[in-house]
Amino acid sequence: MPLIKVNNVIKEYETAHALRGVSMDVEKGQWVNIMGSSGSGKSTLLNIIGGLDSASSGDVFIDSTNIESLSEDELALFRSEKVGFIFQQSHLIPYLTAVENVMLAQYFHSMADEDEAADALKRVGLGQRLRHRPSQLSGGEQQRICIARALINSPEILLADEPTGNLDRDNTKKVLELLKSLHTEDHFTIVLVTHDPFVSQWGERLLMMEDGHITGDELLKGRPES
Amino acid sequence: MIDSLVFEAKIIGFKEGFKIGLVWFVFYSYLFINDRTKLIRPFYAGLILSVLCSMSILLIPNDVISVVFIGNTISMSFALFLILSGAALYHASGVNLLPRKSNLWNESIFRIIVFILAIIFFLPDLAGTLVYLDELSMLKENALMTSISAAAGLVIAGVIFVAFIKLYKPYWMGSFFAIPQLLLFVAIVKLFGSGIRGIAELSLVPSVQRGFMKFIHDFVHQTFVMLMVPDHPLLKKTTWDFIAIFFGSGFASFASLIILLTIPAVFVYHSLFKPLPETGEESRVSRRRIKSIILSDRRKKALPVMLFVIFIIVAWFSQGEESVSRIFIPEPRPLIADKGEIVIPLNDRTINVTDGTLHKFSLIHEGEEIRLIVIKKADNTLSVCLDACEICPPVGYGQRDDHVVCIYCKTPIPVNTLGDPGGCNPIPLTAAIDDNFIRVEMKEILKKWGFVNRGESEK
Repeated sequence: MPLIKVNNVIKEYETAHALRGVSMDVEKGQWVNIMGSSGSGKSTLLNIIGGLDSASSGDVFIDSTNIESLSEDELALFRSEKVGFIFQQSHLIPYLTAVENVMLAQYFHSMADEDEAADALKRVGLGQRLRHRPSQLSGGEQQRICIARALINSPEILLADEPTGNLDRDNTKKVLELLKSLHTEDHFTIVLVTHDPFVSQWGERLLMMEDGHITGDELLKGRPES
Repeated sequence: MIDSLVFEAKIIGFKEGFKIGLVWFVFYSYLFINDRTKLIRPFYAGLILSVLCSMSILLIPNDVISVVFIGNTISMSFALFLILSGAALYHASGVNLLPRKSNLWNESIFRIIVFILAIIFFLPDLAGTLVYLDELSMLKENALMTSISAAAGLVIAGVIFVAFIKLYKPYWMGSFFAIPQLLLFVAIVKLFGSGIRGIAELSLVPSVQRGFMKFIHDFVHQTFVMLMVPDHPLLKKTTWDFIAIFFGSGFASFASLIILLTIPAVFVYHSLFKPLPETGEESRVSRRRIKSIILSDRRKKALPVMLFVIFIIVAWFSQGEESVSRIFIPEPRPLIADKGEIVIPLNDRTINVTDGTLHKFSLIHEGEEIRLIVIKKADNTLSVCLDACEICPPVGYGQRDDHVVCIYCKTPIPVNTLGDPGGCNPIPLTAAIDDNFIRVEMKEILKKWGFVNRGESEK
């Protein structure tokens, strides 16, 4: 069974349909990009897969568990154990240092371990920035803290919602290369949402979304050169 | 209007019912959480046997099993549970105190232990309560009314417990307890609910406090007496003032509080500050997760212990004030020396020194107040002493039950031993007593007053 199985998910708001019967599977260890224009429903789908939002109808199975049937407490446990999130905005705590921001994720998962958090930051190339606050770091560096924070609890799934949306091309490439290398080493599953065609070519598979539907599904050949 | 004795019987019955309900509930919740509720049966067996045995104790004459004996048994059972809780915690911390291959969770062993501990817990308390209720019913001269009232109190407690448990089903509280915490909980329940002097002393706290104070007092006193010869120049009043600090109520009370808090403090240390054990997990995340589960469990189980600590501290200090106030201290009546002696009437319109209560008298000599005490002993003789001993500052004595109690160091001295010289005893006076008067020569009073607070024993 695939690690992520989305089965005919519909998401309705009072005035709009965000998802109109989406179905998809993601195998364990796969890097899947979802690309679509603004309002196509890709972020809504990502939030539903991550248990941040619930579907109006349909099922979402993660590792054979239907997360739509979980209680709030069970969902919180699911999120802390199974999923790591990266967003367009870094959402780092401004008055905590880089290492403290990562330790915060450890704390909410289990307990803080400064050495482990420092190692995670070294792994994303921020070994010299452990004691810096977010305001003292560039956007690319902040996003790398987010990656360290998202992966510190070894989630099976990394959900990334426009992770490079605020970065220039150079920093975008650095972040994606980092993700690629971590993915190769740790074999976690990535579902990445983007509207950027450049970003969409990183990974192994590309899903296209439009108006709440999946309109395309293609396998990618590999990392683009530029 | 409710008769106070009948009301007291109801309170005593309620207390026993509440105690039984509380211990049952916590133990059952613990078993419920651990999915072993069948092991409650030996608890019931121990409880029922304790009820039957305690009732049969009423058939034994009072002079064979006294209240003092039962009181001492209760204190010892409290100490046993306290020590057992410490031992169980030590065992749980990884040091195996049991013989190899033994397993407390082996059901048959566990059943026997629960049965025995239930008897040790309930039997002395129930026996003490029934003996006290028996005394109450004799005072009331209506045993039936007293028994009904006590039973009503017990039933009220039972109904409250059953209603609470049926309504809320709070068995989750069992997750706050492991075996060490359970044993400590039982000890604390005993401390706060095992007094057998009725409303006057619902808890063991006053007697534990007195016991500790007596121990500290005797230890310090005997040590200094051994260290110093009577005519040593250091044995001045100021020296004894200093020594007396060690067995004054403040120091003794504080020291005994520390002693009582030692085991709960070890629990808190073990729960909150002891380093977490290393786990064999390969991944750092798994290690962290397991450590956090252990830490969370430790914190959870520290919570009731911290509540116990708060209870002990609050009860201790409030009880300290109460026990001081419960000492009867009569106002001294003025005396005037005439023809080299003082004369105290045994019984006139204003005074009856043979009524069994403490009586105080004072006279002024060369600007200094000298006080005397008079009290009737059990053998109907009168004891006449100075209202001071050779050790403490001359603050004097009060009366509590069949003891006089030093107001300074709280040492209780049985009335029947008055007349013995030395130490903490009131300094005895040689008096001439006839059918109407007590006469004491001023020469005798002044000579003995010279012993006060200087450590010079007349022995």
